Amino acid sequence: MKSDKIHVDTLVVGGGIAGMQASLDLANQGHQVALVEHSPSIGGMMIGLSKVFPTLDCCSCITTPKMAATAHHENIQLLTYCEVQSVTRNDDGFSVQVIQKPRYVIEDNCTGCRSCELVCPLDLPDVENEFGRTAHRVIYVPFTTAVPQKAIIDIDSCIFCGKCIKACPADCIDFTQTPQTLRVEARTIILATGFKVTPYDAKKEYGAGNLRNVIDAMMMERLLAPTGPYGRVLRPSDGKLPDSIAYVQCAGSRDETLGVPYCSRVCCMYAIKQAMLISGALPMADVTIYYMDIRTFGKGYEQFYQNAKAMGIEFVKGKVGRIVEDEDQNPIVRVELIDDNSRVAENKHDLVVLSVGMLPGYDTQPIYDVATAKDGFVQIPDSNVAPTVTTQEGIFATGTATGPMDIVDSIITAGAVAAEASAYMHLHSGSPAAPAAD
Amino acid sequence: MPEQSDKSNPPEKELGLAPDPSPEEEPRIGVYVCNCGGNIGDVVNCKQVAEALRNIPNVVTSHSNMFMCSDPGQKLITDDIKEKGINRVVIGACSIFLHEQTFRQAVERAGLNPYLYYHVGLREQDSWVHYNHPEDATEKAIRLMLAGVAKARKMEPLEPVRLQAEKHALVIGGGVAGLRTALDIARSGLKVTLVEKSHFLGGRVAQWERVFPTGETARTLLQRLLEQVQAEPDITIHTGAKVVKTKGYVGNFQIHIRQQPRGIKADFDAVDQAIAACPVEIPDEFNYGLKTRKAIYQPYSGCYPAGPVVDWEHCTHCEKCLEFSHNHDINLDDTPIEFDINVGAVAVATGFRPYEPFPGEMGYGKFPEVITLPQLERLLAADGPTGGKLEWNGRSVRSLAMIHCVGSRQVDDVHQPQPDGQVNNYCSRVCCTATLNAANIIHERLPETRIYDVYTDIRTYGRGHEDYYTLASKNGVTFLRYFVEDIPEVYPAEKGSYYSMLVKVKDQLTWGEEIELPVDLVVLAVGMMPNPVDDLIGLFNITPGNDRFLLEVHPKLSPVETSVVGIVLAGTAQGPMNIQESCTAAAAAASKVVVLLGRGQVEMEPYVAQIDIERCQGNGDCVRVCPQEDAIKLETFSKNGTSFQRAVVTPANCNGCGVCVSTCSHRAIDVLGWRLDDYEAMVDAITAEIPVLEGVPA
Amino acid sequence: MTTQDRVERKKRNEMLTNLRKQHPERVKISQAKLKEQRSIRKTLQQVLKTKPHTIPQLAEATGLPAHQVLWYISIMKKYGKVVETGLDEDYEYYLYGLTRETE
Ligand SMILES: Cc1cc2nc3c(=O)[nH]c(=O)nc-3n(C[C@H](O)[C@H](O)[C@H](O)COP(=O)(O)OP(=O)(O)OC[C@H]3O[C@@H](n4cnc5c(N)ncnc54)[C@H](O)[C@@H]3O)c2cc1C
Ligand SMILES: Cc1cc2nc3c(=O)[nH]c(=O)nc-3n(C[C@H](O)[C@H](O)[C@H](O)COP(=O)(O)OP(=O)(O)OC[C@H]3O[C@@H](n4cnc5c(N)ncnc54)[C@H](O)[C@@H]3O)c2cc1C
Ligand code: SF4
Ligand code: SF4
Repeated sequence: MKSDKIHVDTLVVGGGIAGMQASLDLANQGHQVALVEHSPSIGGMMIGLSKVFPTLDCCSCITTPKMAATAHHENIQLLTYCEVQSVTRNDDGFSVQVIQKPRYVIEDNCTGCRSCELVCPLDLPDVENEFGRTAHRVIYVPFTTAVPQKAIIDIDSCIFCGKCIKACPADCIDFTQTPQTLRVEARTIILATGFKVTPYDAKKEYGAGNLRNVIDAMMMERLLAPTGPYGRVLRPSDGKLPDSIAYVQCAGSRDETLGVPYCSRVCCMYAIKQAMLISGALPMADVTIYYMDIRTFGKGYEQFYQNAKAMGIEFVKGKVGRIVEDEDQNPIVRVELIDDNSRVAENKHDLVVLSVGMLPGYDTQPIYDVATAKDGFVQIPDSNVAPTVTTQEGIFATGTATGPMDIVDSIITAGAVAAEASAYMHLHSGSPAAPAAD
Repeated sequence: MPEQSDKSNPPEKELGLAPDPSPEEEPRIGVYVCNCGGNIGDVVNCKQVAEALRNIPNVVTSHSNMFMCSDPGQKLITDDIKEKGINRVVIGACSIFLHEQTFRQAVERAGLNPYLYYHVGLREQDSWVHYNHPEDATEKAIRLMLAGVAKARKMEPLEPVRLQAEKHALVIGGGVAGLRTALDIARSGLKVTLVEKSHFLGGRVAQWERVFPTGETARTLLQRLLEQVQAEPDITIHTGAKVVKTKGYVGNFQIHIRQQPRGIKADFDAVDQAIAACPVEIPDEFNYGLKTRKAIYQPYSGCYPAGPVVDWEHCTHCEKCLEFSHNHDINLDDTPIEFDINVGAVAVATGFRPYEPFPGEMGYGKFPEVITLPQLERLLAADGPTGGKLEWNGRSVRSLAMIHCVGSRQVDDVHQPQPDGQVNNYCSRVCCTATLNAANIIHERLPETRIYDVYTDIRTYGRGHEDYYTLASKNGVTFLRYFVEDIPEVYPAEKGSYYSMLVKVKDQLTWGEEIELPVDLVVLAVGMMPNPVDDLIGLFNITPGNDRFLLEVHPKLSPVETSVVGIVLAGTAQGPMNIQESCTAAAAAASKVVVLLGRGQVEMEPYVAQIDIERCQGNGDCVRVCPQEDAIKLETFSKNGTSFQRAVVTPANCNGCGVCVSTCSHRAIDVLGWRLDDYEAMVDAITAEIPVLEGVPA
Repeated sequence: MTTQDRVERKKRNEMLTNLRKQHPERVKISQAKLKEQRSIRKTLQQVLKTKPHTIPQLAEATGLPAHQVLWYISIMKKYGKVVETGLDEDYEYYLYGLTRETE
């Protein structure tokens, strides 16, 4: 059982890769950490990806062990499916009120065997993890690698047939659960609330989300993942193996009309990565990337780009003005070809992927009183020298909560925020941040 | 300190240490085959492999799974240990580098000694190399797993070697990255020594004018950082100093430092006169040769440590400066000092140098009108050679072209390689925004000046960077785009022309039209190269990557760690970064150091040599071949009145290379965890008949 | 079944009935959804019983939109009712057939 009062050194908010890594780095220094995640599983956006640039490791191979290490660390308490309600400052730091949302499943007893899920009769679109492209049942374990592996009931869709109660070998279905309040006393807080992608239906020139074979890159990640909805890349309108796939870069970034003037910094690389993965999965398929600038700036990234070119992926400098579809739902991309006298071409593809950008995952202003900058991400007043220090003393930020960045950079900022929080605690208590030799 | 043989002990006790290699308990082996989300499973039939291992002696259970490293995968193992009494674990999966720790922790959690798990590489050693031959790959996987089981039968519980660690770290390099690392380590309660080879702290940032993305001057930024560092009592700084010798390992590095003297006392009050008196004049590296300096100099006023130094390399000992020296304020006979420190970990923050174009590359070195971006920064700086005025040949620059990617994103056969035969095929990531930043500063000061920006891609990727691009466009900067096949040409205009230089660009934004830009000045946005650190690479055994920057172990799993435990990387020594990225990486490096040393103790792998004292004849071959210092030696023992010599290993100094094992003619040495018997059993298993399978679906 | 089991079951059924009563609207919507899903699944299974089909073939045979068929097939695949049996002759679409257990 979670006790309803928890004392820790640091409360980390958000269990994506940045939050997990920050928790691990602090816990390994001997600090006590509580990690609050509002979804039923930790892992963040990263656990939904296929393979990850620049190393092309399978994403699960990097993420799931981190998730397990976080869950099993003796200095870390996981508070999944929890929401921070309020934060008050006191002499020792912060007093934080956290609501544990009901799973309607007794977490401590559930073994994640899925017996309940198999007997539950009603399918619900899996919007949380698969963009509704497949389904889970009303009672379900979020995904195969979820941590914790615990079932959860979507109570609003439940018909209370009781099949799960009969099927559960551990007797842990509990329809009487209500939200529980926990209090966390923490000396410091780390915000690792991550990002969400820019809405792919925002641009009416690109079909406003009404074209079935125009999807966003996150959906493509799922199609490429071995655990994805179809287990392979099929186009959503009719399950066809696509022969010709196009990427539209900066779809949702560097676009004043959408209120996102900045570069989201990962989309060039993930588009190239996906193009490479598609070439592997569908060797006969053509992949075209329509772009304005290719920004492969990281360590080893330029080589990655050059390799993609050598593999035959086509890079076309052009502005995509409009996407429409023909009677077979094939998307037609209207593009002004900058390298070719600004000629306007209309190219038919089987599937178009919008390389969407990044928006802040959460507004830290109301509850934490942590200022955000005009781009909506957490404001970092001295961003050059103190890249993880926010406007609130004792509250730090890391990962994509502080602006678009990739996994490598998220992991590095997580190490940085751990250093900052540890130093702060050392300074404000006199007690050594690192424990004495055992 | 590690366990060491103590000569005062009765030797009989030493003899009793001989290990019993046969495990006491009957091996009960669990076998697990990972699909690696398709990385392995798409080639190797993992189910079939698991099935083939099922009926092998000692194998109690055998599974295949999508992701063994996930929580449910690990649970499979821990449950088997607890419920089925598994006491040896063999996992066929990805690379040991990725997940050895993951699985060790899982095994340990279930109450088993972590060294009773053996990892078989089925990805790098099998599925990835044999992807065109799935059946053969499956057979190979079975054989490798059988060898793993053979090894597992012989595994014994081991304990890591635990060593006391110095709670003290060394930081090499005093740029922003080094300063940030030192600060963050010290603020977490450890001691830090910072060694900077020049006589002043701050690195390259001291040379810049106004920095993106904050828009503050570089000096204010640096000042802020330096004040914090000075206020930190646990940081000791040595400037003019270099690491010249090292010894030891994580927790206990002995570092030998040589420090050049400054030659001048800090409170010397006739600085200006002494400098004026010095007759030596050499190009000033701080200003990239745009002006000269003396052999007594200080790079800029307000630098830290304050006060001038003698440049020993160029000082002629003419003693003209001594005229102004009272009380031996200037000491031209000063000599370097050398000293040792002991540290537990080392952060390498040796930074970068700007790419130096080849003579004649885009006119550089041939026409004075062609300069680099760092030189432009100096021209824009208030304390630069022109006092911040952008003047050329006595008048304000009316038109200039800035060319991107010089010395970056190079391709073979187009660009001239560096002496090592390699071109710089990486993006330096800072130059795009730095160029636009400079363009905007120029526009602010000289609104009439025409600015051409000649680029390949504009990479203003970072938070706030795109604003510099937008502002430059608003400011009327003219953008032209070139392809790497058509590098812009720079040549002088005809004599008497209004502008002295011409830049010819095949501009892709106007459909490949050839455009000639008439300009006063050409600025080459040169990329970054690592500062040369071959000495440190040799001293610490760390590795550079193909791009010559120092290499991390894994960009996601160990992004600031080197392959040598206890040595971390900070800032641009690792690759191009801006200030923010350098400080972030530096703080992350500090974090790793605190994790390593905070407990005052470090753990090392137990794979060290062990002597079977019954077999040892004391002939000393092992001592002669051992490449490590103090790892193995002969000691005198006595038994029943006769004395004799036997080899003794100091585990802390042994790196488990096994050279001694191969020279011992009595088979008296084994490396713990990797005994000769283990290898023989594994080879036998690999070459044996493999079990026939029936009824397993392919 | 022991008496205790019977008492338990009765209590459970009462609780479930109560819960259904407390949320009549939600339950009604979900029950309607369930009915629709069952009927579509049944239709698809009937067509698949004859021979493996591609998504467009299934759409044609059932009159359902192809994207909806794909949704159902992906779920049936996830829960082990349907497997891919190969590609059609143009290598454009996968064929889906019932698993042995479902047949
Ligand atoms: C299509 C796509 C492909 C990508 N591919 C790659 C790639 O190949 N390689 C690479 O390096 N990067 C890639 N990235 C980038 C990568 O996804 C991010 O860098 C990384 O996931 C950021 O991690 P994070 O922890 O900062 O944020 P997130 O993953 O967003 O994690 C934030 C966590 O915080 C939780 N949270 C948010 N608000 C709250 C709250 N108020 N209370 C509690 N919890 C909260 C969220 O539920 C989430 O779990 C890709 C991105 C996209 C969009
Ligand atoms: C023209 C230009 C403009 C720039 N403008 C900006 C900007 O506006 N904003 C921004 O964010 N970034 C900017 N940058 C990038 C910025 O300069 C770097 O990010 C920063 O200098 C990196 O700091 P560092 O500590 O890693 O390396 P450095 O600054 O190179 O410092 C390394 C230090 O290590 C010392 N050292 C080297 N070898 C040894 C050794 N063997 N032993 C001891 N000491 C050693 C060196 O003497 C030096 O003091 C710019 C770069 C360039 C080229
Ligand atoms: S061990 Fe890892 S690398 Fe291997 S599958 Fe598991 S997840 Fe992938
Ligand atoms: S940052 Fe810009 S100028 Fe520098 S190498 Fe990269 S693309 Fe070229």
